[in-house]
Amino acid sequence: MSSAARVALLLCLGLLPAGQGVTARAAEGEWPMPAADYAASRYSTLAQINSGNAARLHPVWTFSTGVLGGHEGQPLFVGNTLYVVTPWPNVLYAFDLSRQGYPLRWKYRPDVSANAIGVSCCDVVNRGAFYAEGRIVYNLLDGHTVAVDARTGRELWKTQIADVANGETVTMAPIVVGDRVIVGASGGEFGIYGWVKGLDLASGRVIWTAHNLGPDSDMLARAGSFHPPYDTGADLGVATWANDSWRTGGAPVWGWISYDPALDLIYYGTGNAAPYNTEQRAGDNKWSASVLARKPGDGSLVWAYQFTPHDGWDYDATGAMMLADLTVAGKPVRALVHFDKNGFAYTLDRTTGKLLVVAPFAHVNWATGVDLATGRPRLDPAKQTGASVGTVHEICPSLEGGVSPSSPAAYSPRTHLFYTSTNNLCMDYAAVPASRLKGTPFMGVTSPYSAGPGGNLGSFLAWDAARGKKVWEIKEPFPNWSGALVTAGDVAFYGTLDGWFKSVDARTGKVLSKFKVGSGVVGNPITYRAPDGRQYVAVYAGIGGDWALLAGDTRSDDPTDVREPAPFMPDIARHTSQGGMIWIFGL
Amino acid sequence: MSLRLTLLWVAGATLAACGRGAPPQAGPHADTTPPAIRYASHIEAGGIAPPGGVLKNPHAGDAAVAKAGAQLFTAMNCDGCHGGDASGWVGPNLADGRWRYGGADDEVFSSIFYGRPKGMPAFGGALGIDGVWTLVTYIRSLPPPKNLPTESWENEKP
Repeated sequence: MSSAARVALLLCLGLLPAGQGVTARAAEGEWPMPAADYAASRYSTLAQINSGNAARLHPVWTFSTGVLGGHEGQPLFVGNTLYVVTPWPNVLYAFDLSRQGYPLRWKYRPDVSANAIGVSCCDVVNRGAFYAEGRIVYNLLDGHTVAVDARTGRELWKTQIADVANGETVTMAPIVVGDRVIVGASGGEFGIYGWVKGLDLASGRVIWTAHNLGPDSDMLARAGSFHPPYDTGADLGVATWANDSWRTGGAPVWGWISYDPALDLIYYGTGNAAPYNTEQRAGDNKWSASVLARKPGDGSLVWAYQFTPHDGWDYDATGAMMLADLTVAGKPVRALVHFDKNGFAYTLDRTTGKLLVVAPFAHVNWATGVDLATGRPRLDPAKQTGASVGTVHEICPSLEGGVSPSSPAAYSPRTHLFYTSTNNLCMDYAAVPASRLKGTPFMGVTSPYSAGPGGNLGSFLAWDAARGKKVWEIKEPFPNWSGALVTAGDVAFYGTLDGWFKSVDARTGKVLSKFKVGSGVVGNPITYRAPDGRQYVAVYAGIGGDWALLAGDTRSDDPTDVREPAPFMPDIARHTSQGGMIWIFGL
Repeated sequence: MSLRLTLLWVAGATLAACGRGAPPQAGPHADTTPPAIRYASHIEAGGIAPPGGVLKNPHAGDAAVAKAGAQLFTAMNCDGCHGGDASGWVGPNLADGRWRYGGADDEVFSSIFYGRPKGMPAFGGALGIDGVWTLVTYIRSLPPPKNLPTESWENEKP
């Protein structure tokens, strides 16, 4: 019996409670959600490909998506079908992996407004779909969520969730918990009033909307149920923003959402405070650059912790919130681990939001550390920004982050290590006053980059989150923008901006195989057991995501738009150009 | 020629009748706004040019206006998409001498005033005619582009 049939049978027999079917699928060698599981671990129990044979990995199949934007996100593999979502115009492909040559079962081409391109801050990316109860659920750039029948490709519902005219676009991957689909919007560069929404899986109807800032009533911070670990007081989302600046304060949701079934809590990060000029929004600006824990059913806020109060560096906290049971200082803890743009890796108690371990995983100089008792960073006064300050030189990390939130890490319960890409960039930051004109950028900064210490612009590293220590690191010449995958075969996988897809020994960091995939990798590898019983690894190639900043000169499709190379990275276009491809590797 | 004059006249009448839809600052140049621009770069079927209006920039070459336009470029958040020096970000480079929708004064005016379908917002309502001409004057004043067609690494170390 195929794994899909087994899961279906268990569901029919009522042996799997609602919501756990999707979890069981991951255990059967499928990949039903962005990070394989609710814990955001990007770990697979498959071990056919292992550190002893990974050197034999080679491409077995490719397919051009026909789209050139940054191919972030990852495919899904469910019931013999590989599902792929492209960047705008957000085509959904369904490949039949039970047939020779993997022909398409169908493709779904939604009508997605091109106007959304102009209110996308950085690129027209999509971070992937979610499989639940026979549906593929994903977001369209122009502010819609759709559910598509996983078998037929027929559209089941389409709901407008965001307003492009107000600077909202949707690039994040949804999560489905029970009968709730939870989604959020990008727009931290357009002064949106950030939110998440809970939709009904069956109908697409919006059940609840919870803002990430503003009054408690808008935030669904209900009396008696909201307990932030380090803050007290009502309406913190208003009181910490001078002159009602919360109304256009950003705090978008463009990354990932994880879920702990035992605590019944979802976890997600919020993006930067808007505008970039801090002097237009005195105060902590809660809850921008924060992690929020909510009940998925009704959206109630349970706790929140702010990584970067009064963000003056564009340090979005939208990177993955990874849930792992660790032993910290001899004690077992239900931990949440997060690699932040601000350069610190955080290990905290996911029941309460209290900090356990904080240490820099990248070069950091805006703060000297984080006080575990108060939760607050110890700031370097020389690195604080604002329009009246002028240019502040050599701030590290740059606003691309110590790691991009687009590049989620992986966790292996075998090695007890986390695996993440990093960027090694610093910046000169000059904030200027910004005026909000609805539907146009609300930013106010110039921020040229330079290489961080050592000169390599990125790396891939293994991290011990219980101790806050780096275990090994592979230096890369370019910012490393792919997500990570790790397996029970003790192999970790990642791609590079110059287009190498690599497998490495998860214990030592030794490179086991590498192959040039044609365009830079900003997507996230997945693995699955195909209908032929063999394990494969799939990944997108397609440079972008922040290509305008990082790689404008890798473009060749528009003769009316020619860019000079970025001074900090003059030769990326020597090694790669845009392209959108799906690659599958096997032994 | 008479056809063009007619079109210009129609344009002025249209704007005057627009009421709410008319640009708020439709001042002295309102009567020079045509209903449609004819793009010299487009292929004309049968080699026959369609009727179309032509707009003239009242500030062409005025350095002081160009300077004001540079400030407007930042104040209206143009830099947020096209980059601080107009050299491109998520929106295209405006300083490379190449144009998706034409680089003549009236073509650039039309792009800014009415917007473009791949996400360029229409600024005509917020800026008015003279504001848009001020931006056009700035954009057309940007230094002549470097010779960008060839990007070479031949002289670098391997």
